[in-house]
Amino acid sequence: MKKVIYVLLVLLSCTITLFASGQKEGNDSSKVVLKVANYALLESGYEQFWKDVETNFESKNPNIDIEWVSAPYGEIMNQVINMAGGGDKVDCIFSEIDWIPGFEDAGLAAPIEDILPQSFINDLYPDVMKAFEIDGSAYGVPLYISPYVLYYNKTLFEQAGLDPNTPPKTYDEMLMMAKKLSQLKDSNGNKVYAFGQTTASVPVSGSSVNAMIFNFGGTVLDDNGKLAVDNDGFKKAINMLKTLDDLSYNPQNAKLKDLRNLFALGQLAMYYDQSWGFNGVRTINPDAENFTASAAPLVGANGSGQSLLQSHCFILVDNGEQRKEALSKFVQYVISEDVLADYLSNLTPAYPAIKSMANLDSINNNPVLKGAAQSASNVKAQPFIPQLKDINLELCTLAQAVTVGDESVSTAIEKFKNRAQSKLSE
Amino acid sequence: MKKHDIKLSDNSYSFVLTIPATILTAIFIIVPIIQSLIMSFQKYGVKNIISGKPGTWNNLRNYIKLFEANQIPEAAYHTLWFVLFVIILQFIIGMALALVLNREFKGSRFIRSIMMTPWVVPTVISGLIWMWLFQPQYGFAKYFISIISFGNINDLAILNNPETALGGIAIAALWKQIPLTTLLLLAGLQNVPNSSLEAATIDGAGEVRKFVSIVLPYLSPVIKIAMSMSIIENFKQFPLFWTMTGGGPNGATTNFAILSYREAFVSMNLGSGAAVTTIWMLMMIIIVGIYQKSFKVQDMS
Amino acid sequence: MKRKKLKFIKIIILILIMLFLLFPIYWMLITSFKTNMEAYLYPPSFFPKNFVLDGFINLFTENNEFFVYYFNNFLVSFVSAIITCLVAIFAGYSIARFNTKWSKTFVAILLSSQMFPIISRMISLYSMMSKLGIINTRSGLILAIVAAQVPFCCLLLSSFFLNIPKEIEEAAKIDGASRNTILFKLLTPLVTPGILAVGIYAFLMTWDDYLHAATLIQSDNLRTLSVGISLRYLGELSYDWSLINSISVIGTLPMVLVFFFFQKYMVKGLVAGAVKG
Repeated sequence: MKKVIYVLLVLLSCTITLFASGQKEGNDSSKVVLKVANYALLESGYEQFWKDVETNFESKNPNIDIEWVSAPYGEIMNQVINMAGGGDKVDCIFSEIDWIPGFEDAGLAAPIEDILPQSFINDLYPDVMKAFEIDGSAYGVPLYISPYVLYYNKTLFEQAGLDPNTPPKTYDEMLMMAKKLSQLKDSNGNKVYAFGQTTASVPVSGSSVNAMIFNFGGTVLDDNGKLAVDNDGFKKAINMLKTLDDLSYNPQNAKLKDLRNLFALGQLAMYYDQSWGFNGVRTINPDAENFTASAAPLVGANGSGQSLLQSHCFILVDNGEQRKEALSKFVQYVISEDVLADYLSNLTPAYPAIKSMANLDSINNNPVLKGAAQSASNVKAQPFIPQLKDINLELCTLAQAVTVGDESVSTAIEKFKNRAQSKLSE
Repeated sequence: MKKHDIKLSDNSYSFVLTIPATILTAIFIIVPIIQSLIMSFQKYGVKNIISGKPGTWNNLRNYIKLFEANQIPEAAYHTLWFVLFVIILQFIIGMALALVLNREFKGSRFIRSIMMTPWVVPTVISGLIWMWLFQPQYGFAKYFISIISFGNINDLAILNNPETALGGIAIAALWKQIPLTTLLLLAGLQNVPNSSLEAATIDGAGEVRKFVSIVLPYLSPVIKIAMSMSIIENFKQFPLFWTMTGGGPNGATTNFAILSYREAFVSMNLGSGAAVTTIWMLMMIIIVGIYQKSFKVQDMS
Repeated sequence: MKRKKLKFIKIIILILIMLFLLFPIYWMLITSFKTNMEAYLYPPSFFPKNFVLDGFINLFTENNEFFVYYFNNFLVSFVSAIITCLVAIFAGYSIARFNTKWSKTFVAILLSSQMFPIISRMISLYSMMSKLGIINTRSGLILAIVAAQVPFCCLLLSSFFLNIPKEIEEAAKIDGASRNTILFKLLTPLVTPGILAVGIYAFLMTWDDYLHAATLIQSDNLRTLSVGISLRYLGELSYDWSLINSISVIGTLPMVLVFFFFQKYMVKGLVAGAVKG
């Protein structure tokens, strides 16, 4: 019997010693390790940029070590929360603006004024920072911002006999143009979709639908975070989704990346995307730069074409003085002209969030973003509630119900209200 | 060898041998399951994970809410529909293939081994392969259907239509699972004694009759096992759903696995996610139980 | 006449089913050799017009962390398979030979644990493993995965032990062999096919694992294949179908090889296990 136990013991210790080496290698105690959660490391378009950030920052600050925590876009939030549950908190999360309330509610996000110096905070646009506030404190630092912009294909516009320099301004104009555009075929005889609006079941699609509701002057939530969908704008926007589907202008149930693919291949004439989505278009088709142009979000019904503010931001975590100091250095290093100017003009078209970058020519005259230049100021922020992600997902379900689900707009909205209310009541 | 070994009673020896398995099962399966049961009656969110504070009792709120929003009945419907669809087709196709391959012919051995390939493709990859085949704009399936329907159906987007999406995932599941079913049935077929078949032929029994009254009874133990493995696997299916549709469109492919994952890990409401898994496990136990009871194995030996 | 017709039907059935089973593999293979722009052609091309290795080159040069996932997956699967086998030998023998009260309970526990969905265990598993300090380590992942395989594998192996006539054991006992000698020196060699079957099964299942690795591993250098692949695939920016298909090809290949080499044991083992139940 002893033998059995002995064998087991040996086996167990073997595996543990063998693989314990898989744990974190012992770090120099004199160095501050900064853990940065970043999904973008796994995106081929961005990987190099962040690797360079790491190398350059570390060579400038030899006593700070950047340790990346990576997970796919859809799972990085769980990752960070699970790690924190295990007692291992990251210092910084590269995130979408919509993720802030979730992290704040979890008690991870710290107000930025606790970590960053006032001089730096003063350089951020106060109007923009309003969108990051919960109860008067900002819980995220934007690297750059963008509304949902309307990208369109100039070549297709020409082929349809439209002026490539006058994109539609309202939804009605868009529908007129779409009629012509939808007659087109691409060089292989494939259908060309006229207008793309993402509706797949991912939170970012929900926020894009939300932006469309803002275009129509509608609301989803009121300022107190209560459900407020009994308005004309909301209904009109959902109706528009149905119309677009009935006329088969919009690829069904598409993710943003599906739309980027179709757009890159010349099978989609117009679509809404975050400004940095163009980076995805370019990775599919490097020639896309030649036919892509942008325009401000469309005006729907009685709305003013307002859109939803989107941003990639850092969420900061308080991990004690030493790490806070290192974190502050890191954030100030990244959000600076030196690091971001090149990134914004070449890699990821978007608008800077700090005043000292306002006059950068390469960004202001970025050919891809030019057409949408004014739209960054016509944005509205969504009130931050912890269930924002759930509400966004419910918006996707609503959009799918009136399109692929063939439900009537009024029943679909009733169902939506029911489910959203139950999520909000928690 | 040491004497005390022999003296060790059967009871204790057999017990000692099960210790490693018991410890592993207890720590990694039983304890977490019990914790999840408890959690299903609690309000347990992200804050609890991070602070390590225990959840608070919330008067069955998790369950009530899931039923009120009609989420449980829908998930149950999708799960059962999927399981039923897959196992029935899997049985029919697997049986057909097994019957064809049961006779030796030129190349039959080769076919028997390459037929197994889909089974060894990792599930996530099979999800990707089928997603790519079903891609709505340039997928092969769209092309194939438009050819065989003589151009009548030109816009097949199986995963984007709430009415067909579940079927699309079922096709991927069938693709991966048919090989194993066939293999098991084939092995079972080899146990069917030739003498009985010959006797029946002499008695003038037709192929169908022979199949029903001789082959099926001999096969029944294999069928029972193969089907119950398949029920369990498809009842628990997660990766295919998650990679192919994520539960959409319009919730049409939200089965128990997706619902619990979404409640627990997307909405970060672990209590509610645990409530889903509790109902899910209960249903599975009941169904497998009914299946075991109602499927009588004919003893031919 | 009737026979001919039957034969004809059989051939049609065979061709249809085999096409269904094999065409997707072919499609994955050729897509991996197409450029992205060609992959998006419609109607699709049945053979790559420009035969390119871009996807594979990309895999070896730019996305070569893929091979880290690959290595991890191999290591985790291999060690899990070995531990699973050992545990299954002990428990399988115990179930097969001793009909005690405990062993009945034990079998019931094993049978029911097979049915519990992984998701329901993940959260408590996570907090428990972090308390034990084995979160985000390969050893922790291996233990969790082994635990998930153990129920089925013990039952499978016990059916092999059942097949060995009791007389062999009794004869050895009379010769004065100890229990351990009987189990390890005498019986274990006799169930080698079963052990191989269990080992290969555990290997295949671990190779396929997604949820365990997704939840229990955070460092990129410890990730395993399925999760690694879905990281690439889940890229939010764009699809790179040509690369995805190349990854799929390389991710599938070793399993196909393992299967073809060990097919005999695998088939025998699974079949024996299933038939005996």
